[in-house]
Amino acid sequence: MLINYEFNEDKIQSPLQYTWSIFKRNNIAIAAMWVAIILVMIVIFAGYILPNTPTTQVKQLLLPPYWIDGGVSDHFLGTDDLGRDTLTRLIQGIQLTLGGALLLTLIVSILGTIIGATAALTKGLKASILHHFLDALLIIPTLLSALILIAIFGPSYENCLIAVSLSLLPQFIRAIYINIENELNKQYIIALRLDGAANIRLLRFGIFPNILESMVSLLNRIFSLAILEISTLGFLGFGTQFWDVELGALIASSIGLIFSSPWLVLFPGIAIFIIVLVFNVFTEGLRHAVIEGEDE
Amino acid sequence: MSLLDIRNLSIDIATAQGKVRVIDKVSLTIVDGSIHGLVGESGSGKSLIAKAILGLHNASWTVTADRMFLGTTDLTKLSSKNRRRIMRKEIAMIFQHPRSYLDPSKKILPQIREVLPTISIKRRLLNIIKRSPEPSPRLRIKELLHKVGIQNDRIVLASYPYELSEGICQKVMIAMAIANNPSLIIADEPTTAMEPVTQEQIFRLLYKLNQLNNTTILLLSNNFGSIRDLSDYITLIYCGQTVESGSYKQIINSPMHPYTEAMIKTILDFDENISHKSQLYTLPGNIPSANQLPIGCRLGPRCPRAQRTCVINPEPLNLKGHMISCHFPSTDKN
Amino acid sequence: MLNYISRRLNLLLINAFILTIIAFLLAQWSNGQSLTDTNYIIDYVKYISAILQGDWGSSIDNRLILQQGLTAFASTLELCIISFITAALIAIPLGIFAGFYPNHFLDYCIMTIALIGLAIPIFWLAVITTMLPRLTGITLPIDGGISPIFEVPVVSGFMLIDTLLAEDLYQLNAFYDRLAHLFLPSIVLSFFLIAEIIRLTRRSITTVMKSNYIKAAYANGLSKTRLVLHHVLKNALPSIIHQLRLQLSTIISFAMVIEIVFSLPGAGVWLLNSIKEEDYLALPAAVLIISGFILLFSIFIDIFLMIISPLKRKSLYVD
Repeated sequence: MLINYEFNEDKIQSPLQYTWSIFKRNNIAIAAMWVAIILVMIVIFAGYILPNTPTTQVKQLLLPPYWIDGGVSDHFLGTDDLGRDTLTRLIQGIQLTLGGALLLTLIVSILGTIIGATAALTKGLKASILHHFLDALLIIPTLLSALILIAIFGPSYENCLIAVSLSLLPQFIRAIYINIENELNKQYIIALRLDGAANIRLLRFGIFPNILESMVSLLNRIFSLAILEISTLGFLGFGTQFWDVELGALIASSIGLIFSSPWLVLFPGIAIFIIVLVFNVFTEGLRHAVIEGEDE
Repeated sequence: MSLLDIRNLSIDIATAQGKVRVIDKVSLTIVDGSIHGLVGESGSGKSLIAKAILGLHNASWTVTADRMFLGTTDLTKLSSKNRRRIMRKEIAMIFQHPRSYLDPSKKILPQIREVLPTISIKRRLLNIIKRSPEPSPRLRIKELLHKVGIQNDRIVLASYPYELSEGICQKVMIAMAIANNPSLIIADEPTTAMEPVTQEQIFRLLYKLNQLNNTTILLLSNNFGSIRDLSDYITLIYCGQTVESGSYKQIINSPMHPYTEAMIKTILDFDENISHKSQLYTLPGNIPSANQLPIGCRLGPRCPRAQRTCVINPEPLNLKGHMISCHFPSTDKN
Repeated sequence: MLNYISRRLNLLLINAFILTIIAFLLAQWSNGQSLTDTNYIIDYVKYISAILQGDWGSSIDNRLILQQGLTAFASTLELCIISFITAALIAIPLGIFAGFYPNHFLDYCIMTIALIGLAIPIFWLAVITTMLPRLTGITLPIDGGISPIFEVPVVSGFMLIDTLLAEDLYQLNAFYDRLAHLFLPSIVLSFFLIAEIIRLTRRSITTVMKSNYIKAAYANGLSKTRLVLHHVLKNALPSIIHQLRLQLSTIISFAMVIEIVFSLPGAGVWLLNSIKEEDYLALPAAVLIISGFILLFSIFIDIFLMIISPLKRKSLYVD
């Protein structure tokens, strides 16, 4: 063979590099990724970047944002009816909502993957009971199950997170279960099995690389649902106590002021919208890169 | 007279690592009423050429050709509407893995009925006056199926594709292809994953079509041996480059390209006495992957006759219709 | 086929059983009884027989929970159905277009709309929409299910139908009033639904468009309309319907939130008020009514899909 492997300029890329190189071409997804990173940074370092303390009250009530007549630069996004700085409360809200959703997605995905994989790899009565139980839980709308759990545990931020994660867990387990089940019937898994691969090895090298695409979109889905649900519960008044402000609760507390000071309602909503949008665009770009990488 | 004339067809596919030229200046001339064999290893780009002829390529491909004529129509300049019209009447294609090319949610009958040529109203009126009605669609479908050798047409027509074997599906595809009496049928490895008896049936069917209807057939295959004796003309391609092209006699009796010579040597000849467990002849090395194509003549690294000049693409030689792309064609006539 | 139906019915029974257990536990909890004191199997049987006889208990203000729940849920369902029909009429053509011409300029526009629709928090959109009548000067009611001047007798629970039945009382005025009250909530809900349906349709259509038989249909020279109507839709629709069925519980969740914002009497308002008044007997009733509906509907859709889609039937052969 005369092909010179040593000095070949474009080496064959590993699948990961390949996916990354496809992802890099998608400018919008890259931008979304950076915004997402910034948002996560805000969540982590919220304590250090708060412009004011969230409970400090100034005398200027219902200040409009800085760029509108009457706004002051001390309170960039204005103040609310008690004279609290909107930007500070917004950042704190993002910290609670986004941070909660990220934590919750992490926990749900780890628990869900373990339970789902175990369910898919075991056969018999136990799997069947789990299967039917999940089926029944899936039928209950997430809002209803969250309301039930809140009613049982009592309203608080932690309980709201628990309720949302418990209501999302069945969805995640079910999706993982179905994905793994579909993969298990394929030829290469049978080949791996015949090679004597144990279940862990089967999952690690056979199944997970192949359900990566649906995992990415599933995580995205769970994350979006978590954000929307946490804020919905907050909005309905079940989420947070009055001192910690969560984005949904922020909206609910300012509904009465919607005509006098509409930005108090607008900003938290836009914040939720941007969070969900950015993470959606980012994961969608990732998913496309994974699909394209598999196509070629 | 040539029915399909393609000069310097190139296809570039955009990948994450930049464009890869998968088809490099392939020329193909198909004589009217002949069976033309297009032979190359899998991955050499045969199917890509067929798809480019039909315009079935997707957006990431760039297809360029100096000339691509079907009869007198220029295929490169066709609007998608006119191309559709031509596909129905002039070119038909038969695919490998035929079952996946039949709509899984429909029975066979409506699928065939869909491609039957429509009878114009004028002709219908004339028929009424002449009192010689056209045969009903059902009857025509039955005829078609009998023509391709399906006897129990009633059962086949009432089945979904997943209920039929690949062989039957291929026969159905052929029936759909010949429904409009096209002048060219492109058969893309029509017999992959079929048992030898069915393969033989399909080849015989194509041969019969060629002989009785004078249909031109472009037969794509990776098995030189199986289509060699069927073809009037043979073109060999390697890694997207035309290697050698000529009539059956020219290729078999006086191959001039080292690749062709190797291909002919690889055909098992059971008449000869092959000693037990002796090694069969192949070219050394493997077909290179699409992102590591050698420059110049792509056979270079595997070629027994390669020299320094082979890094430059050879100009095709034309000896009385026998085209060779090689710097060092063998000249000895045996 | 019969085998499949019986298997689905079997599943229905098991799921219904689990649901009643959940409802039973909730009812026990809301009554303040703990399970260890009494024999819970007997309690469960008692509970089920009470449920089956229609004795679902009564709320704090002495109204029958069964009646209350059914009327509330019917109102929610009404909102869902109206929004769904609007959304399907708008979204399916858009989704088909986007799937048919991927990477086209309009495809990007449609997908952007879909992305925005999925990212907007639905309760916030509802809050913003309540501002619309004031800002634009159009008079549209933004709270309540129907103007209090109309006293429509409850017959079917679906107020649109009830107002039509009460035509002799108010002519069509009550009907129009109800429609006006449903207008803004259903716009908000259908905004989400449009986004969801566009996404599902596009994904399903692009998968079908990539398949070999569509290439073959192209090669057979079929016209685009024929391709869409006869080949693409027939193969894409079952999976769209299936995916939408899975979204049903999300749709009902969102409908309940919207009702709360617009104070439209329905399951959402009913549940919220019950929880706020610590009248927890509404929770098991809601589980039974809402989840029971979703369960029955899902199984109905499954059987329907099995009838219309030969591909699903194919999997029966393999089993």
